[in-house]
Amino acid sequence: MPSVQPLRTTSEETEVVTSETVATRRPWNVVVWNDPVTPMSVVVVIFRKVFGYSNNKCTQLMLTVHHEGRAIVWSGARERAESYCVKLQVAGLSTTIEQGD
Amino acid sequence: MGVARLFVRRRDGRVEVRLNDGGRSFVHDVFAQVVAAERDPDHEWHTSLAPPIDPAVDQDDPVATLRRQSEMNTNAELALVTSGEQFLNAAEAWAWLSTLQVALRSVAVSHGLLSDERLAQSDAATLEYVRTLQQLLFALAECL
Repeated sequence: MPSVQPLRTTSEETEVVTSETVATRRPWNVVVWNDPVTPMSVVVVIFRKVFGYSNNKCTQLMLTVHHEGRAIVWSGARERAESYCVKLQVAGLSTTIEQGD
Repeated sequence: MGVARLFVRRRDGRVEVRLNDGGRSFVHDVFAQVVAAERDPDHEWHTSLAPPIDPAVDQDDPVATLRRQSEMNTNAELALVTSGEQFLNAAEAWAWLSTLQVALRSVAVSHGLLSDERLAQSDAATLEYVRTLQQLLFALAECL
């Protein structure tokens, strides 16, 4: 009669799983950087087109970029963050992604 | 005296282009420059067309780079082939805006105009080029 072996769960395995879970839950931020040449109204139009945000939200984000040098315009899963980053770069804005805290 | 508008949004959603021959020639040259920069790795604008999303990550993500480049080709080429049109649909107007903005950023990067001080110190020809691009972008953004 075959015996059923119990599943082994070492403390090392448990630690690895926990670490991965925490890492994937940290959001990825799409960051737009200020530059001295892009007209403000163009930034608003690009945000509206790419994200579908309201005019007010786009204007607020644009002003944050202008006054603080950068703004986080979207946070979430890495794949979507990369996709938004690409769209903003294709539209001519300076953007990067970074992992949030 | 009123200021002539360069772009007018019509009721049917299309954007009417009211550039004179000089303006048409300017945007055609800009669009052609962006297309050339996309195809020529030695072009002075080339490196600014496809900046890394995150240098540490991008080396491991060639798919993102390819997708970015292919999307940019589409916008610039669409803008170039429609540079003589009187009316632009929404996608074409977006391609114009994107390509003009890419050109503006490329000029800024290739001339090191990354601060207000550097911009103010740039030569007259570069400054006029930047101002013309900004004027076109500002006028087009009002219609979108």
